Amino acid sequence: MKKIIIGLVLILAIGLFTGCSSDTQATDIEVDQYTIGITQFGEHASLDNCREGFIAGLAEEGFIEGENLTIIYENAQFDNGISNQIAQSFVSKKVDLIGAIATPVAQSSFNAAKDKDIPVVFTAVTDPVAAMLTEGNVTGTSDKLPVEAQLKLIRAMLPQAKNIGILYTTSEVNSLSTIEEYKALAGNYGFEIVDMGVSATADVPLAVDRILPQVDAMTNLTDNTVVGSLPVILEKANAKGVPVFGSEIEQVKLGCIASEGIEYVELGKQTGRMAAQILSGEKTADEIAYEIIEKSSLYINSHVMEEFNLSLAQEYMDRAMDVAE
Amino acid sequence: MDIFIGILEQGMIYAILALGLYITYRILNFPDLTVDGSFPLGAAVTAYLMTNTGDLVATISLGHNPYIICLYALMAGAIAGLVTGIIHVKFNIRDLISGIITMTGLYSINLRIAGSANVPIFNLDTIFSNSTMDMIFPESLLRYKVIIIATIITIATKIILDLYLKTKSGFLLRAVGNNEILVTTLAKDNGNIKILGLVIGNGIVALSGSILMQQQGFFEITMGTGAMVLGLASVIIGINVFKKIKFVKATTSVIFGSIIYKAAMSAAMDIRFARASDMKLITAILFLLILIFSEGKKKKVKVDA
Repeated sequence: MKKIIIGLVLILAIGLFTGCSSDTQATDIEVDQYTIGITQFGEHASLDNCREGFIAGLAEEGFIEGENLTIIYENAQFDNGISNQIAQSFVSKKVDLIGAIATPVAQSSFNAAKDKDIPVVFTAVTDPVAAMLTEGNVTGTSDKLPVEAQLKLIRAMLPQAKNIGILYTTSEVNSLSTIEEYKALAGNYGFEIVDMGVSATADVPLAVDRILPQVDAMTNLTDNTVVGSLPVILEKANAKGVPVFGSEIEQVKLGCIASEGIEYVELGKQTGRMAAQILSGEKTADEIAYEIIEKSSLYINSHVMEEFNLSLAQEYMDRAMDVAE
Repeated sequence: MDIFIGILEQGMIYAILALGLYITYRILNFPDLTVDGSFPLGAAVTAYLMTNTGDLVATISLGHNPYIICLYALMAGAIAGLVTGIIHVKFNIRDLISGIITMTGLYSINLRIAGSANVPIFNLDTIFSNSTMDMIFPESLLRYKVIIIATIITIATKIILDLYLKTKSGFLLRAVGNNEILVTTLAKDNGNIKILGLVIGNGIVALSGSILMQQQGFFEITMGTGAMVLGLASVIIGINVFKKIKFVKATTSVIFGSIIYKAAMSAAMDIRFARASDMKLITAILFLLILIFSEGKKKKVKVDA
């Protein structure tokens, strides 16, 4: 019998804990006070930048954390089960809005909130149509890569190149749709795409060794596993004399030669402004279509360019930002 | 209140996974890593049968009936268990490695079946939301719909398992885990019984994957990562906390174990002095406390005796 009592006490204790915190949450909400939940799929530089931008975007529109805005931030540690539980806890705390960073948490949040009248604003979702996040009380921004601009950049820097290699993770749905787009557009610039899938970080070194002899240049997607292994890829590619193009600023800082990418802080800000429109009651999430950043930002690493003895035409250099230290 | 509903919903759905692991880990004494593959396999089969509009799929699933689809998911998991069993028993390969082999292969198979690493099924009929269910549940009970349906399925699975374990075949299954020699003296083949256990266990695990997928509204290839660990923790917590209480069946303890696991995770989320990334550490500490709590009591009893 004691066991049962201990068990019950434990469950109750946990319940009290959660119960208490939601009570304090409720008393915080006065006139013009807002509470939002931000859920992020995992710890990752680009996703962190999104969140930072999101909060900044809200602040620009007058929703300032600590003043009239309470933010509950949760991180799903790349775990599907946790992402569901976070979504449910936000819904049960009756937040005014859920900000969701990356596809799986956006889907969990939308699923948990869709019948509860809580709007979901996502960011860093590459293909909102395929993720079925376009209809209902949901909107946000896509981090679709500017593939065409990237192909132009590679052509401008490497007039002779023929084959471009791309590594991707088979579990990342965003990578597959971007590769499809690369393949569709590559022909227009005289390129062919050589792609190779990996299933885990441990596969990356083997895959790099196989793909390098077949290509004149490599380009990266925003694939989490591959980007996480970038140092290995760069080391092997540099040894073979194959330049690696990045997909955003952080990768160029690490040693990619250049990138026509999106800037995640900007993307987050754009998303934050959309969230502000919804919070202020100006528009509902239903009325706002999802947005894409049309303008790409060009980043170059002049050290790497010197090493490879490559250059860019003046029209590119004029708008390029050099991130080499 | 809503937090409790959330915990119970997740706990009940994962309890089915834990029941599957109870069969393999606790009864068969088999550390079965197939689970990390068979859990998403159930979800992948569900995604395929729900989204494929071909005539054949419509026919075999009786017009995309979600309940029939659950049965297909269960069968797919059973096949995965069969493969692990055959690898282990017929080819004499160690238990851990057999599971790893099947799990590794299932990653590609799951991607093939689902067609993509992420398949959303919002707006499609699921066991939780379809015209019949919408009719049965009145407006006032709608928020309890998922928890009621999940509890019914979990309890049904538990009762069927309990009844099965009382049959002759169930008795042999328990004997294989405890005392292989006894089974041999009864002139029964240990190997076949082990295979049967893996078939049942993984079938249940895949059913759980299918149900979770229908509740969360999408398939995601990574949803199996850590499934084995999660299920195992639920089994061990449940059995430890309730082991001294005679009238609580092991299967019931396992279900409570899963709910306690989810409650601990939920509590870890709300402990606000920590960074969001500390959640797993806090969860780990809570588990340790739960286990020490139940172990500590046991020692006292021994001293008294």
